[in-house]
Amino acid sequence: MDFALVLKQSWPMLLEGLKVTLIISLLSIAIGMVIGLISCLMGLSKLKIVKAISAVYVWIIRGTPMIVQAFIVYYGIPIVVQQFNPNFIISEFLAGTITLSLNAGAYLSEIFRSGIQAVDKGQIEASRSLGISSGKTMFKVVLPQAFKITIPSIVNQFIITIKDTSILSVISLAELCNQAKQYSASTYRFFEVYILVGLCYLAIISLLMILSKYVEKKISYDRKSKNN
Amino acid sequence: MTEKVRITNLHKYFDKLEVLRGIDMTVNEGEVVCLIGASGSGKSTLLRCLNRLEESTSGEIVVDGYEISDKKIDINKVRENIGMVFQQFNLFAHMSVLKNIMFAPVELKKMTKAEAKEKALELLKRVGLEDKADSYPHQLSGGQKQRVAIARALAMNPDIMLFDEPTSALDPEMVGEVLEVMKELAAEGMTMVVVTHEMGFAREVADRVLFMDEGVICEQGTPEEIFLNPQQERTKDFLGKVL
Repeated sequence: MDFALVLKQSWPMLLEGLKVTLIISLLSIAIGMVIGLISCLMGLSKLKIVKAISAVYVWIIRGTPMIVQAFIVYYGIPIVVQQFNPNFIISEFLAGTITLSLNAGAYLSEIFRSGIQAVDKGQIEASRSLGISSGKTMFKVVLPQAFKITIPSIVNQFIITIKDTSILSVISLAELCNQAKQYSASTYRFFEVYILVGLCYLAIISLLMILSKYVEKKISYDRKSKNN
Repeated sequence: MTEKVRITNLHKYFDKLEVLRGIDMTVNEGEVVCLIGASGSGKSTLLRCLNRLEESTSGEIVVDGYEISDKKIDINKVRENIGMVFQQFNLFAHMSVLKNIMFAPVELKKMTKAEAKEKALELLKRVGLEDKADSYPHQLSGGQKQRVAIARALAMNPDIMLFDEPTSALDPEMVGEVLEVMKELAAEGMTMVVVTHEMGFAREVADRVLFMDEGVICEQGTPEEIFLNPQQERTKDFLGKVL
């Protein structure tokens, strides 16, 4: 075992992978939040068709493994599109971002829905009775409270999304795990390099957890004491 | 005297259950009308029909000159002039007391932030809570919450105030402070429709008392007429139980 040597040899590769992991995580979390919010609001719509679109989306994404979704987006869809446009290709990065965003979006949609349903209906009535529209009531009264209730679940989903980037190594995205695989395949240093990779994930996720505790504290109106 | 509310032959079903069975009533400007009756008699439903928190099944409801049951009217515009106070207070939990009161006037662009703040502080003073401006709802007692809720409804300068059992969720020692604020409001000439179990309040403040039973207005009159000389058997029976 020689961690110092492995670290020295593999670090440039791992760093490249770490960059890809971080970028695709952040991007997918951001896009996933938007998709999740839209899907959640669609799910609350009175229009049956709009509601159904959201339900089917969540059903399919939750009901199939992400590895299958990644294969479909990366290998499957290009074959179909190439029938009409032979030059069509999709990069690993784009396919990975689409898969991961759709995945995070479906789970976040459910998380948001549970949060919205947990907000006291009386406050919605109070807002409406003042002449505030239903849309504004949603954004100013319901969502801020739903968001606060669901922060722990949202952060949990972020953590899952970050870890799920490793699955995208199957579509040859050069993220952290894939880089480690490349390195260990030629050096047989499996133990050292995967311990290092594990530490990298642990570091990112620990940072995220610290950040989330800070945010939770920042917006906790019900724990502020009368004195400050 | 101007008519603020006119209800004609109002019916309301929850699925197959008919909870309002042909209501006719009017409320004049500056009048305080108290709705009394047993639980399940339809008083709260009737009140909630006045700002369309409940959709009526049939009949006509005219508030402030607007036909409430008309699907085409902009109900939000009408609601701006109808304040409502709820049994469970329903303060916005994520906003300070001040923000709760400023919310509607600012969001609906009735006032600038500065104007709304000034108005909110003035209203807080009026309900005796000027020192609670920066508190959050969970830090207040029930009575304080309800006084803030009244201030919030008043911030829009409504023409009519609806009260849905405003003291029913309060500890007994806090009922007085809320009724006091309501009395002052009545004395200033506010048009009020109050669903209440506080017979003392109805007796003292109401211009007219409506006794509801099984979805109809069974009897109505001045407090003296209703409390001292009820005509209907059902009214006598109810008052015999609560007084």
